[in-house]
Amino acid sequence: MRIGAVHQTYAQAEALLDTNFQRVMLAALFAALVLFPFFADQYWIYLACLVLIHIVSTTGLNILTGYTGLVSLGQAAFMSVGAYTVAILEIRVGTPFIINLILAGFVSAAVGLVVGVPSLRVKGLYLAIATIAASFILHFLFANGPAFLGGTQGLSMPPARLFGYDLARPFQLYWLFMPLTALSVVAAANLFRTRIGRAFIAIRDRDISAEVLGIPLLKYKLLSFALSSFYAGVAGGMWAYFFRVVTPESFPLIYSVFFLAAVIVGGMGTILGAILGAIFMTMVPEFLKIAVSYLTFIPNATAQLSPIRTIVFGALIIGFLLFEPQGLAEIWRRVRRFFHIWPFKK
Amino acid sequence: MRVFPTRRKVLSYAAAGCLALGLQAPAQAADDIVIGASMPMTGVFAFAGIALNNAFQDYVKIVNDAGGINGRKIKYVAEDTGYKVDNSVAVFNRITSQEKVSLYYGDSTAFSKTINAELNRRGDIVLAGASFASELNDPKNFPYQFIAGPDYSEMIGILLEYIAKTKPGAKIALVNSDTEFGRDPIVPTEKRAAELGLKIVEKIATPPTSVDVSTEVLKLRRADPDYTIFHGYILAPLPEFMTQAKQLGLKTKFMGTFWSMDNAIWAKSAEVADGFMGVMPYRYYFDTEGKSPMLEKIRQIRPEYQSTGYMQGFLTAMLMTEAAKRTLDAKKDLTAANMKASLNSIKDFDTGGIIGVPISIPGNTVPVGRVYQYDGANKTMKPVSDWIKIAK
Repeated sequence: MRIGAVHQTYAQAEALLDTNFQRVMLAALFAALVLFPFFADQYWIYLACLVLIHIVSTTGLNILTGYTGLVSLGQAAFMSVGAYTVAILEIRVGTPFIINLILAGFVSAAVGLVVGVPSLRVKGLYLAIATIAASFILHFLFANGPAFLGGTQGLSMPPARLFGYDLARPFQLYWLFMPLTALSVVAAANLFRTRIGRAFIAIRDRDISAEVLGIPLLKYKLLSFALSSFYAGVAGGMWAYFFRVVTPESFPLIYSVFFLAAVIVGGMGTILGAILGAIFMTMVPEFLKIAVSYLTFIPNATAQLSPIRTIVFGALIIGFLLFEPQGLAEIWRRVRRFFHIWPFKK
Repeated sequence: MRVFPTRRKVLSYAAAGCLALGLQAPAQAADDIVIGASMPMTGVFAFAGIALNNAFQDYVKIVNDAGGINGRKIKYVAEDTGYKVDNSVAVFNRITSQEKVSLYYGDSTAFSKTINAELNRRGDIVLAGASFASELNDPKNFPYQFIAGPDYSEMIGILLEYIAKTKPGAKIALVNSDTEFGRDPIVPTEKRAAELGLKIVEKIATPPTSVDVSTEVLKLRRADPDYTIFHGYILAPLPEFMTQAKQLGLKTKFMGTFWSMDNAIWAKSAEVADGFMGVMPYRYYFDTEGKSPMLEKIRQIRPEYQSTGYMQGFLTAMLMTEAAKRTLDAKKDLTAANMKASLNSIKDFDTGGIIGVPISIPGNTVPVGRVYQYDGANKTMKPVSDWIKIAK
């Protein structure tokens, strides 16, 4: 039984992982992540890559919505900026993929800064509408802008290259995405142990009080938008390397809703929530599809049950909102707590 | 004694069941020829996806009941994609991980473009799909893909041929949805119209499901075209366009392309649709003109009306199996290059009435179609031209 951890120094108290058990579990997780592609087939590696992209983007949105309290429905639009940046750099300039991904993040962050300007004046639904407007403007720009954006046909790009080798298949891209996602998540976790992260949380909890405490609202709100968009830009760049075709229709508004749903289902304002939310939103429809494909006793089950699958997925999301509004992260915390105090309380 | 298992046991049984489901792979005979499909059975394109899925199932059953291809059965494996490209690619990966797929049906232009590099790398799958995008009609860049009909530029080319013959020098307005699908044929249309001596007097782009089209109709009124060609829509906003144009007394004739040519979608607005024309690469379900054994077979299997999407799926399945058959007859392996070469060897092929003339596949398309016109009184599309072949 473990009921708590003793911290004897400030460094111990501030550590991300405060027990040996946590460190062992994390090492086991990394070992599993490293070994996973050698045991999984192309389908599962493909889904793993998709989940990794979604984790980066959801983590970004969680910084903005979960930690700073600013609602955004523009995450997919920021991803599109990243994807186009990567595609243009890859096609026109030919810079290495890692530079392209970093630049994608910075260009998206710049766009995020502009879109975030109304956040000082408006909040909640009003801000959400402002971010939707941004996604429409960006869509229009990509479809009708200069010829190098490819118009409505978009851009087809070559694969990422490393030491002369193409990273074209999910198995190869996994080794690029997995460390990148891990780095993004660790960076986000560390962010909230800094002055900046705590300022975000203060703004979320009560912006007027935060201002009274000396936190400049405009600066930190814009910084939150920029950081969130940076994550979206990197995720968009990863998306571009993954699918290698970027069109104005690749990042519809519903994709932004997908990320917002992932933040809510996973648990707002927790790093683990963004990860679990992204996994849930990506994988549950796939599991439902697999389940349907095994109902062979129903004639033409795939066609007959496909709409029901969508309804079940919707019902699961509503169920979470009703019965566990704090999301999957809270369920995980409860499971951990159960094991901590077991066998004294079931 | 405890009758009901504990919650923990129930959960562990459920987990074990899920694991077993995940680990089992569907059975496949070693020599089955597999057709995989990313089908849009939910989402905005579901109306077509369900029809396409039925068509593939029906044709595969017909072939298997007749003994298969050289004694080898065809296996059709489809999954729903919701018309989302990431889902379509996931389905492709799942099906190709579990089956030895030779032929594949994709649900969108985006999917066809996205999966192209993987098709080229694998070299063992030929792909066709719901997309008629002109960009795919490029054997150099899309060597293992084909379209079971004319591409969108060729479709409008067929309409232009008809217009040039019916009313030389006619004025034409183009109304396109502001999407990749909608903008696809604009540039080739302008070029072909100039070659045929036709004048493009107005170009309008609207959102795909635009509701208020009054401004666009005023533009049409100013341009006063003889023909207005819609492209990139299924239904909306076509009825609204035509209603307002008729109220303003415009004499223009409205035309559409394949996905807006289904008989059933116009049945509810038959009065508005009366006189609506368009290009159709296949014959309609109810078409009894001439000899058409395959259409008759379809009518026996499915006594109720089948949409144009069904016809597209049926012909795609026919051409896919014909490519496999010709490859096996030539004692060659079912590689993508061999199957595509077999497909391109198809010349003056009898489709059994699915298309009204013998067809050839010189490149990536079947460049033939016919102009039909909607008869509001009888609620049916009726042919107003012969079959028109487009030479590339």
